[in-house]
Amino acid sequence: MATRNLGGFLVLVLAFTICEAASVFQPISDSHLSAALELFAPVSGSFGSLEETYEALRTFEILGIDKKPDGSSTTCHSVEETVGSSSSTPKDLLYALRVNRILKCKVNEENFKGIVSMLKAAVNDASSLLDFYYSVGSLVLIKEQSSDADLLLDDADGIFHSIKALSQSDGRWRYSSNNPESSTYAAGLALEALAGVVSLASSEIDQSAIGTLKSDILKLFDSIEKYDDGAFYFDEKVVGARQHHGPLSTTSSVVRGLTAFASVTSGNLNLPGDKILGLAKFFLGIGIPGDAKDFFNQIDSLACLENNRISVPLILSLPATVLSLTKKDQLKVKVNTVLGSDAPPLTVKLVRASVSGSKDVSIENLDLKFDKESASHFLDVLPKTVDVGKYLFVFEVVFHDSEHEKVYATGGRTQVPIFVTGVIKIDNTEIAILDSDLGSIETQKKLAFTSFIQSFIGQETQKKLDLAGHNVVSLSANHLQKLRLSFQLTTPLGQVFKPHQAFLKLRHETKVEHIFVVGNSGKFEIVLDFLGLVEKLYYLSGSYDIQLTVGDSVMENSFLKAIGLIDLDLPEAPEKAARPPLQPIDPYSKYGPKAEISHIFRAPEKLPPKELSLTFLGLTVVPFIGFLVGLLRLGVNLKNFPSSTIPATFAFLFHLGIAAVLLLYVLFWVKLDLFTTLKALGLLGTFLLFVGHRILSHLASASAKLKSA
Amino acid sequence: MSKLVHLLGFVTLNVFLLPFLCKSFSPETPTDRRVLVLLDDLAIQSSHSLFFKSLQSRGFDLDFKLAYDPKISLQRYGQYLYDALILFSPTIEGFGGSIDQAAILDFVDSGHDLIIGADANASDLIREIATECGVDFDEDSNALVIDHTSYAVSDTEGDHTLIASDDFINSNVILGSKKIEAPVLFQGIGHTINPTSSLVLKVLSASPSAYSANPKSKLSSPPSLTGSAISLVSIVQARNNARVLISGSLSIFSNRFFRSGVQKAGSAIKHEKSGNEQFLTELSKWVFHERGHLKAVNVRHHKVGEADEPAVYRINDDLEYSIDIYEWSGTSWEPYVADDVQLQFYMMSPYVLKTLSTDQKGHYFTSFKVPDVYGVFQFKVEYNRLGYTSLSLSKQIPVRPFRHNEYERFIPAAYPYYGAAFSMMAGFFVFTAIYLYNK
Repeated sequence: MATRNLGGFLVLVLAFTICEAASVFQPISDSHLSAALELFAPVSGSFGSLEETYEALRTFEILGIDKKPDGSSTTCHSVEETVGSSSSTPKDLLYALRVNRILKCKVNEENFKGIVSMLKAAVNDASSLLDFYYSVGSLVLIKEQSSDADLLLDDADGIFHSIKALSQSDGRWRYSSNNPESSTYAAGLALEALAGVVSLASSEIDQSAIGTLKSDILKLFDSIEKYDDGAFYFDEKVVGARQHHGPLSTTSSVVRGLTAFASVTSGNLNLPGDKILGLAKFFLGIGIPGDAKDFFNQIDSLACLENNRISVPLILSLPATVLSLTKKDQLKVKVNTVLGSDAPPLTVKLVRASVSGSKDVSIENLDLKFDKESASHFLDVLPKTVDVGKYLFVFEVVFHDSEHEKVYATGGRTQVPIFVTGVIKIDNTEIAILDSDLGSIETQKKLAFTSFIQSFIGQETQKKLDLAGHNVVSLSANHLQKLRLSFQLTTPLGQVFKPHQAFLKLRHETKVEHIFVVGNSGKFEIVLDFLGLVEKLYYLSGSYDIQLTVGDSVMENSFLKAIGLIDLDLPEAPEKAARPPLQPIDPYSKYGPKAEISHIFRAPEKLPPKELSLTFLGLTVVPFIGFLVGLLRLGVNLKNFPSSTIPATFAFLFHLGIAAVLLLYVLFWVKLDLFTTLKALGLLGTFLLFVGHRILSHLASASAKLKSA
Repeated sequence: MSKLVHLLGFVTLNVFLLPFLCKSFSPETPTDRRVLVLLDDLAIQSSHSLFFKSLQSRGFDLDFKLAYDPKISLQRYGQYLYDALILFSPTIEGFGGSIDQAAILDFVDSGHDLIIGADANASDLIREIATECGVDFDEDSNALVIDHTSYAVSDTEGDHTLIASDDFINSNVILGSKKIEAPVLFQGIGHTINPTSSLVLKVLSASPSAYSANPKSKLSSPPSLTGSAISLVSIVQARNNARVLISGSLSIFSNRFFRSGVQKAGSAIKHEKSGNEQFLTELSKWVFHERGHLKAVNVRHHKVGEADEPAVYRINDDLEYSIDIYEWSGTSWEPYVADDVQLQFYMMSPYVLKTLSTDQKGHYFTSFKVPDVYGVFQFKVEYNRLGYTSLSLSKQIPVRPFRHNEYERFIPAAYPYYGAAFSMMAGFFVFTAIYLYNK
């Protein structure tokens, strides 16, 4: 579990540092101030509980932010309340007193006397480590704040031993005697409590007990863990379910305990300075935590390290590790304490500078000058031997006063990766199409291209060239020919420069891209033999854009430039040739609205104009009129209509019936359906049969009478 | 007795779970509420706190867990405990508890959202999850995205892996309507999106001069990822509208990058603050459905002049169709305003495809004539726009031909026939009378 935790934390640290083994740690700076004000923003004048208030105030105090909360009177009030109340727990008292130490509220001396006796009783009765820690801590604070209270512990030795009894053989502590789990965090608390006991002791504590405690501390430091970049930290071995403290709070607890203990004991702790420096590096490597508690732990621990009696870590930092030869940047080195205050008089020595990855030494043994105004050590001009490249500078701090070497920890030699950047000169650029037999050059565009690239490189003329964007070469080749592109890169010192990125890119109209690395053998040259490349180019003929990208982290004029076009005439693809890879679809075109579709309705049948129909309607009536006219001409009459009433009635009804049937047909046409029509027709038919029979038989008998007469 | 204890346990569990269930992701309030954050180390909680705070201030309930914590799980008794998952554990080789690759993919398949922050040294597990989402990270585990022309100018980082990119996707719904002025700082690994996947989008692309390689070793062969094909941050919107954000950098979310100023190489403008905060806040709003989530209600259609929805239309009927579309704004449903919502009248293929008119208050309507083809049609609204959830509505409706008595009658062209028949009938009537009574 702990190792996994370590791995995870490594990622975080890597995120804050360059991916180099030797990292540069920056001391606390202004960005911490603004972050602190942001993190510890009081809500309506109060920071919350006394513990949170203390963390905020202590952070502000260390960072020198003179910003007491507006509600310091309300905070003081709650401090007084806590101190005055007899029911306050030692923990509340501890934080109240800590807040009081910063705010200096006017707490009644009587109140102190009351709680002193209570705390003393608590110390004597205490069984768990936290009880000791809170009560002893409170007593120490009262000692600072009040002059007349009787604070000295009579049985300091006994208390010392009962706290010491909770320690484990590996330097860690248990929280209480009936809890077998040991913790590094608790070790920090115990050390702080023991330091308190020592300072409160009425008589000298037994030196042998202090001696064993010192060896305990050394044992505790055996369990210290380390990052690759030289940072040391403590972490809990067992992740307790309830009280888990991360590496940051664990380390800061140990640092607090350690520095408190070191300040009350005489004699040396024999702790190596690089471990103390490593602890400082750990806190600085975290950057700016986003959590108030973490922020407090970081700042408070750094403040403890700043003034500790073991050894004060000095941080060697560089404001800039990227130096430009063209801008003639100075190499500046700052040496500060962790909180950014000035170091004692010292000289920074540049022991060695070499191109990383090689053994050649560019600079050796140079003393940096000191500039009092900016409090930084600097190198006026980089020596002439320094060319562009990635360097590893090794610095050493030499104190003017040899006494300081014991007080301060500098970690010996510091390795810093430095990037020296500069403008790279491009020469002899040429692009040519060669026939396959060597030598015969078909097209060579030398001049135009050379001046083109060079004018591009020149910073001043860059804009001009962008405007003259048509200044590109245009070539054509078939699969039997070759394309040759060559150029030379030289550093400001005239050395051959090998950039990390030198790509020639051919992009077909269909966006299929091909990238070639331009090889370097003294001169950058790439020969593309299209015969061997046809398969790689997927037999795609047509126009290709040529792009040249040259870049390196130390090259200030890295560029990406379209050189021009090449029109390739490649053979037809055989059947089995690989298809060009799928290109991603453009997301914008994929989602637009679709074209509208409207239905085309079937055209209505062609009909003659209405006039024509009406004309023909008139014509169809003509025979009927002719019929009527013919009848009149023939002189028809109705003289045979029966004269007697009954046959006349039947005749009338018969014709009425015929008219009704005809009318029924008209109605059938207009609206009736077949069934209604047939029903009505049936009735009418029966009626017609009856009256028809009567009238026709009457007419028949009448005509028979006539004939016989 | 033991039964009783079980029952009691069950009841307490229900009581305990009930408030969670009520708050869970639902189509009515699509915003995620409960987010599980899996970390390599709890220190990320503090180093990336600005990002987490912006989520918490928007009402998300973040549950920070170590990725190898043996007690973590995404679901219990078939119910998902979280609405979204943030994986800020790039190096994790295997999750603790019941979470594995399949569980995470199931989580997304059931419509939940996911944010993946990978980084240099990303583990195979994280890479595989990304691959399943249609994103392929550079296979070289030491490769970083390097850009020698659009890096962020820095005094302390000289290897040009700290990139200032401002090649954003052009979409207001994904990145908010406010333009991101400052470039985004990025340091990490690059990926490409799978060309066969139509659901993945590059949100932040690298510049044409970028490439993905190990900065410490010389290049002998062309790098597999180059140019603007490199995606730095990508998003996926699955077919079930689950949204996934994949970033090749974890530090892009960090407080350090959020607070840092940025100056792009070759540019004289120095921005006080990088675009990371705005970019990621807006993007997280999109991922957690606070933007671009559409719903369609009140789908209505009827004949012109009527109000009721018929069961069947006749060919050549004139009909009206209307729909209301709303967008979720994080707190409420707001009318969605656009002018490109289209309706299809569809049978095998669209017969009518019409852009709907809108009243600018989320109401969309149109009217058209039913085609003179009968069969079973569908009203279809297929609305797929960049960044929005897709709307796919279809409603089946049959269209019948004319009935026998619905055809046109008394056609003028037929008047001669009518005239002939009736004159014949009149003649017959006259003839009967004349024939019978003529003397």
